[in-house]
Amino acid sequence: MNNERLNYGDRIIYMEGVVVDVDDCSISVDLKGRLGFFKAPKRMFICDTEPKVGQEFGWNMSFPEQLGPEINEHYVSNIEKERRKQQEMSKRLDNKEV
Amino acid sequence: MSITAETAKAHAHDPAVLCCRAEAGITIEPANLEDPAIFDDLVDSGLLNLDGCLTIEEVLGAKLTKTCDSLAPLTADVLDGVKAPSVSAPAVEEEVAEEAPVAAAPAAAVPVAAGGVLKIHIGEGKDIDLQIPVGALGGGAAVAEVPAAAAVAADAVAPAATVGEEKIVGTLTRKHFNITEVKRGPETKIEGTVLTIREGIEADVIADQELVKDFKLEIITPELYHTYSETVMDVQPIATKEGDSELGSGVTRVLDGVVMMLTGVDEGGVQIGEFGSSEGYLDENIMWGRPGCPDKGEIFIKGNIVIQEKTNMERRGPMAAHTAFDIITQEIREVMKKLDESLVVDTQELKSIRRPGKKKVVIVKEIMGQGAMHDNFILPVEPVGILGARANVDLGNVPVCVSPLEVLDGCIHALTCIGPASKEMSRHYWREPLVLEALHDEEVDLCGVIFVGSPQINAEKFYVSRRVGHTVEMLDADGAFVTTEGFGNNHIDFASHIEQIGMRGVPTVGMSYCAVQGALVVGNKYMQYMVDNNKSEAGIENEILGNNTLCPEDAVRALAMLKAAMAGEDVKAAEKKWNPNVKSTNVELIEGAYGTKIDLVGNEQELPMSEKRRLKYS
Repeated sequence: MNNERLNYGDRIIYMEGVVVDVDDCSISVDLKGRLGFFKAPKRMFICDTEPKVGQEFGWNMSFPEQLGPEINEHYVSNIEKERRKQQEMSKRLDNKEV
Repeated sequence: MSITAETAKAHAHDPAVLCCRAEAGITIEPANLEDPAIFDDLVDSGLLNLDGCLTIEEVLGAKLTKTCDSLAPLTADVLDGVKAPSVSAPAVEEEVAEEAPVAAAPAAAVPVAAGGVLKIHIGEGKDIDLQIPVGALGGGAAVAEVPAAAAVAADAVAPAATVGEEKIVGTLTRKHFNITEVKRGPETKIEGTVLTIREGIEADVIADQELVKDFKLEIITPELYHTYSETVMDVQPIATKEGDSELGSGVTRVLDGVVMMLTGVDEGGVQIGEFGSSEGYLDENIMWGRPGCPDKGEIFIKGNIVIQEKTNMERRGPMAAHTAFDIITQEIREVMKKLDESLVVDTQELKSIRRPGKKKVVIVKEIMGQGAMHDNFILPVEPVGILGARANVDLGNVPVCVSPLEVLDGCIHALTCIGPASKEMSRHYWREPLVLEALHDEEVDLCGVIFVGSPQINAEKFYVSRRVGHTVEMLDADGAFVTTEGFGNNHIDFASHIEQIGMRGVPTVGMSYCAVQGALVVGNKYMQYMVDNNKSEAGIENEILGNNTLCPEDAVRALAMLKAAMAGEDVKAAEKKWNPNVKSTNVELIEGAYGTKIDLVGNEQELPMSEKRRLKYS
């Protein structure tokens, strides 16, 4: 385990992003340059002041590398179960609203 | 960057390397030298070669005979007037790093080895009372003469003789009732060892909170452990106070063999506090027997709460889920209050004992307080209840002092956040190992437990950690533990708590999951005594519930380390990279010194290996 499995793990780049949403649990960040989006628990952000929409954050990161071609069936099954459940529940919610 | 005279002294036995270009003829001063703290990285990357390099104490005051560039290691051929090295620092023999020579703790107990004499001559006088704590005799200068190795060898466990009387300041009686079967029926009742939960109680749960839209109750017996489940939000004991007893005193009744387990989603099917999947089969995702987890063989009363759409990331969502779920627990509590004494299978008496004259220690437990499910209800009326409790976020995350017995009586109802492997669930506090160990250790005087929240913003973090520092100062503690759960920005205040306590001259042992992923983001010079709660093979957050939480073995190590620190022993610096051998070496040291066997808990390797883990983590 650990990062020995990465071939380019030392390519660390400085990134910046803009806070687009803050809720009670998480902060959502758009990566500048239309390079994506992420949402992470508040606990993983270091803030000197209260985090607010529009603020900029900076961090170092690298490129996520594929660890291998294998597909983990347990994750697939979990994702599938989750998706089905969400679909079912949304349907019920829609019906209720009607 | 050059170093100061003070740093040079601290690093006297470390290699001497020039920090910047120096002309021939100059006399080497600390200002010419680079900070040895950065050498590991430079050596790793091949930028620095320390072969033949002299130590800082050898080169100070010597004359440079050749102009050298920055980052040139100082060797004998470029210097004139090199001093002879003093006896090299002790502690090279054993590879104990981070958590170090705990066995050295009893050093204070061997004043004989120092050959010191306590001589008191009183020529003339009357009404003279001399009170000298025996521990004081071994301390100070006398100890310095005891070679570290001798201290390690000495297996004297009991330090200084007893001073003062033990004082029992509180008692808590736990009456255990055994449950072997849980079923549904027309009313909630307990008959013998069978717990029946009222059919239709679901409607009450749903009606209790506006945000709760649906609720399903499942009874998971050991045969059903291989059941698919949503992310486990919390595991709680089922306990109630008897009569007028208040939390932390009197009598508590508790059901054995059964626990409450909460899971939840919003109406869109999104998990509460959604941050990626950790759902799966219960038996593959729970580390059995951890203080916060269910034990193998227990029955789970598992509730799945559905809260209003999109409130899963709002504070009111998880709060409503916990509050509504407590309706069921409370109904069981009411029944328990009426149970006949004849059903008690075991009675346990917990005593809060103060030991005046012994080293006074305090436990500071940092709990999450960033908001939403990063929150805890403090001091409910019933053990791990809701009613009467205050959320620590509402209290401003400031330190709240509680008695050890209040902790063990469920004064924390944890909303528990993300990071399944390191989160401390409500049941963890009910069986908190550090509190139990410190309470039962006759060599220390546990004066209390301080809970402090971890706010989101740095300014608030430092605000609360200064309060912690002052609180510990007022307590006149001789030593402190600071613990935290999980990793992230809570490590900033974790470090700050240790600094605030440490700068007041109180040795502080820090306990956290760190290992590989949770490596500390900040540090300070007071963070010398650290215990890592990691149990996972690879040192990572491996999504197994409770895997990396504080266990009795960590409590034993932390206590031994704090005793060593309070006795003025050096604890070796941590290795640069996480090394699990440090823990095993220390455990052996403790076993050797105390003559006891420490049973280490297992880790995820014992669980049925899910395909997911096999592929991902092996």
